[in-house]
Amino acid sequence: MAPTKEITLTIDEQKVTVPAGTTIFDAARINGIPIPTLCHQQNETPVGVCRVCVVDVGARVYTAACIREAENNMVVKTSSDKVKAARKTLVELLMADHPSPCAREQQSNDCELEALAKNYSVGTPRFAKRLTPSHLKDESSLSIMVDHSACILCDRCIRGCSEIRHNFVIARQGKGYAAAISFDADLPMGSSSCVSCGECMVSCPTGALTNKKVLGQKLEQGAALSGLSVEAQELLELPVFKGVSGTFLELNKGAVVKRTYRKGEVICREGDYGSTAFYLVEGTVDIFISTPRAHVDTEGSQDGFLSKLASKLKPRKEHQREEENTARKFIFIDAPVDLEYDHPVAKLHAGDLFGEMTCMNFYPRSATVVASEDVVCLEMLRNVLDVLQKNKTFRAKLDADYRVRALETHLKSVPVFTSLTQDFIDHLRDRVELQRFAPGQVICRQGDPADSFYLVRIGFIKVSEDHPGGELVLSYLARGNYFGEIGLLSDEGRRTATCAALDHVEVVKIHREDFREMVGRFPQVRASLEAVARERIEENRSRMHNLQSVPVDDFLKQGLMDAQSLLVLDLDRCTRCDQCVKACADAHDGITRLIRDGLRFENYLVATSCRQCRDPLCMVGCPVGSIRRRNSLEVIIEDWCVGCGLCANNCPYGNINLHEFPAPAGSTGHKATVKKATSCNLCYDHPEPSCVYACPHDAAHRINPPEFFGKILGGKQVEGIPYSMAPGMMDRRK
Amino acid sequence: MLIDRTHRLWFWGSVIGLAVGLAIYIPYAHFTIGGARGGTIIGILYGIVGFGFMVFAGLLSLRKRFPVWRMGRTSTWMRGHIWLGLISYPIIFLHSGFSFGKGTLTWWMMVIFTIVIISGIVGAMLQHYLPKVMTKQIPYETIYAEIPVIRGQLLDEADVKVAEVTGVSMASSAVTSAAEDAGGVIVTLVQMEEDVRNELTRFYNNELRPFLEKSGGKGCAIAERTNSVAMFANLKTLLPDEIHPVIADLEGICEEKRELDQQIVLHRILHGWLFIHAPLSLALLVMGAIHAVIALTY
Repeated sequence: MAPTKEITLTIDEQKVTVPAGTTIFDAARINGIPIPTLCHQQNETPVGVCRVCVVDVGARVYTAACIREAENNMVVKTSSDKVKAARKTLVELLMADHPSPCAREQQSNDCELEALAKNYSVGTPRFAKRLTPSHLKDESSLSIMVDHSACILCDRCIRGCSEIRHNFVIARQGKGYAAAISFDADLPMGSSSCVSCGECMVSCPTGALTNKKVLGQKLEQGAALSGLSVEAQELLELPVFKGVSGTFLELNKGAVVKRTYRKGEVICREGDYGSTAFYLVEGTVDIFISTPRAHVDTEGSQDGFLSKLASKLKPRKEHQREEENTARKFIFIDAPVDLEYDHPVAKLHAGDLFGEMTCMNFYPRSATVVASEDVVCLEMLRNVLDVLQKNKTFRAKLDADYRVRALETHLKSVPVFTSLTQDFIDHLRDRVELQRFAPGQVICRQGDPADSFYLVRIGFIKVSEDHPGGELVLSYLARGNYFGEIGLLSDEGRRTATCAALDHVEVVKIHREDFREMVGRFPQVRASLEAVARERIEENRSRMHNLQSVPVDDFLKQGLMDAQSLLVLDLDRCTRCDQCVKACADAHDGITRLIRDGLRFENYLVATSCRQCRDPLCMVGCPVGSIRRRNSLEVIIEDWCVGCGLCANNCPYGNINLHEFPAPAGSTGHKATVKKATSCNLCYDHPEPSCVYACPHDAAHRINPPEFFGKILGGKQVEGIPYSMAPGMMDRRK
Repeated sequence: MLIDRTHRLWFWGSVIGLAVGLAIYIPYAHFTIGGARGGTIIGILYGIVGFGFMVFAGLLSLRKRFPVWRMGRTSTWMRGHIWLGLISYPIIFLHSGFSFGKGTLTWWMMVIFTIVIISGIVGAMLQHYLPKVMTKQIPYETIYAEIPVIRGQLLDEADVKVAEVTGVSMASSAVTSAAEDAGGVIVTLVQMEEDVRNELTRFYNNELRPFLEKSGGKGCAIAERTNSVAMFANLKTLLPDEIHPVIADLEGICEEKRELDQQIVLHRILHGWLFIHAPLSLALLVMGAIHAVIALTY
């Protein structure tokens, strides 16, 4: 090996000798002469973009010390007044756009730019701040906060991601003032392929990339909870954390707690709110729904003799829903297994993860988990779970578990797929793809070629259509629903609607070829899917028609156009006898689902009763999928409701209520009294809702708002209601 | 129930039924020895039809007890109640040969029947007009059973408003007492002179609060809208401008309470007639049954 050639140069009047090829910055650093810099780090290739390390080498212009190689006999001045003045101007220019104090300065008081500004006594910058920042904050990642306004485009994050971690997620985009760092060709960070290793935020000199603390990040510990914060090193030794960034775990110390539970201890309860997920390290747990499967029922209570007699003579059909006993064999829960409707208990073993939906979307717990033997588990916050889910090893394990344990039940619980044979399910097992989407991310866009069919596994999907007035929400899909069949079955082969993730979503993607094979081999599946597709197209068409045929402004404000069925009382006819309320209570075992109060339009009262919204927000978030649409109209609450109250909170019109009632004898579970959500189901087992049927004065009507108000606005008489309002009535009401 | 075009069928049905009854009655009364009376075959038939209509009309209340049972829409029963109940009266006269009752029982039955029919007509008229009046005059109408609760809320709201400007806690105010019990201190939002404070407190304690406290406005001058307007206007001239928004709020509360009182009155009128109509109808049916048994037995 040839000896390395050495060169000698003078830095700040000090003679230094360094190997040839050494940069001026390194030559100075080796000899203890500090040169400030922002874009350069020892473990990254120098790029010389910030120019803060400028030095005077006697040339026409100053040079960036980090990239300029030292030369023999070179004379370098690093801290002359002129160099300092140039450096100060550079810092002042950077500070002009910097949101001081930035997030890093606030968090840990170590923003390198602000420290430099203090050293160089940069006060209020003389230069104007940019008026409209080209990029704002990106909060899509659960672990890293991106504040583009604090970014100085030093590229340290880009080199950290590519050179150190080899992830190649971050790059630059745009020119001039519009230049910024971007993730996977300008995706939100949370939607990109970023694995949240944390290298970028460690590299970042400012508050542009900072560790995103989760609210109340420290999980409770202590003897009472048998919890112990786990060191990063210990976590990294677990197979499940293999490949996770140690930097990230260090930064998020306290976000994972190891807990031990003795046999019989409750780990979490259904209906409770939480923000954590559990990973079973050792032991087995029972997961079940303890709330009895029943509807609100007062038959056993101290009701009137006649009501009891009526209940005995003519029991409600609500207790005998055939759909629940045939089509829906499983109750979907927030775990790798689904619960059988007839026996809603299952076991989870070491290596299983549960509580994902609660952790990622803050939905109530869907099931109760009790240790069936001594158990050790890791309770984690969403930023840790997010990192785990992006970890290839862990992801592969979860996917494999799903394919083996849940895909079959998932498919078979969807009514249209009940005829699939075991061999085809086995065939699909290795061919389906599990995909994750961040909130707001588009899964498929209207007009795009249809290339796949999707089953919803976790989260909620918003289905919408573009129309001249903007976006029209067609539906929300939860676990157990599917989409994409219309495009695949149609001749055009194009998407007819846009489907986007409403929260953290996971879907099972069945590719076009497999879908075609499936509908080819199973004509029954094809027929069912075609029937559903026809139904959906027809429903969307009528919705669009309604929207176009009625002036919507006033109704939209009240959400009335969104209703499919409104209970209106004609106050000029209503004698306030409350017969409608009594009938409702009578139809639902003593508990009314309507209140004779609400919005008024002239002589019409829109009673407080379920409107069967087209955009049923109440369905979003139900942890067990017990609130759903029946066919296309009635929103019904199934008997496995766990009484968490989320639907009641979500309903913007206060039309869902929670009622406590005694648990029916012989029901599963251990609770003496339980809460259940109730809402009007339009008395679907009768030809007409009881409130309307029982009104002695023809004052109560269940109406289709666009049709009803459309006719009123047009000055036409509404059939069955011999009243009309003058055109422009709505304007006068303003 | 609103009597409108939807009653046409029932109306013409009743008219025709009555006309047929009369058409039969004329030759029957003319040719029957001793004249038309309840004891003849045709007289008994009139009685059966008339009593049948009365029973049907009476069954409405039973129908309402089982609103979910699919035995025909309640509104259809109501139409039947009105029209069949109404024509049962002339049919009973045809049954009795236009006699008002010769015996004590039948006389009393006819008296009660007349009251029942008149009260029913009054009730139908009230139900025809009063809902419109209520809708028009009471924009803040609430559920009748909720009125005491709403009244309590209005009182609490007024107490808090007054306490906010005077710093004086109302002795029996639930809200301010609870706040003070919990260690709270009432902070006045407006600085005011002692005499101003006294005037507002006096007005509130002597005029407004007693009105808000009780159901109805008996004995309260402020219950009358004209008086109330004058009293609040007078108060505004006495008190500084800073307090006027509070006075306007109190006036609004007062108006809302007045509406609640009006709702109570209208509600009682709308349903009060039933206290005459319903028990007398029941009594009539019982007496009718007794009359039928006695007449047919003896």
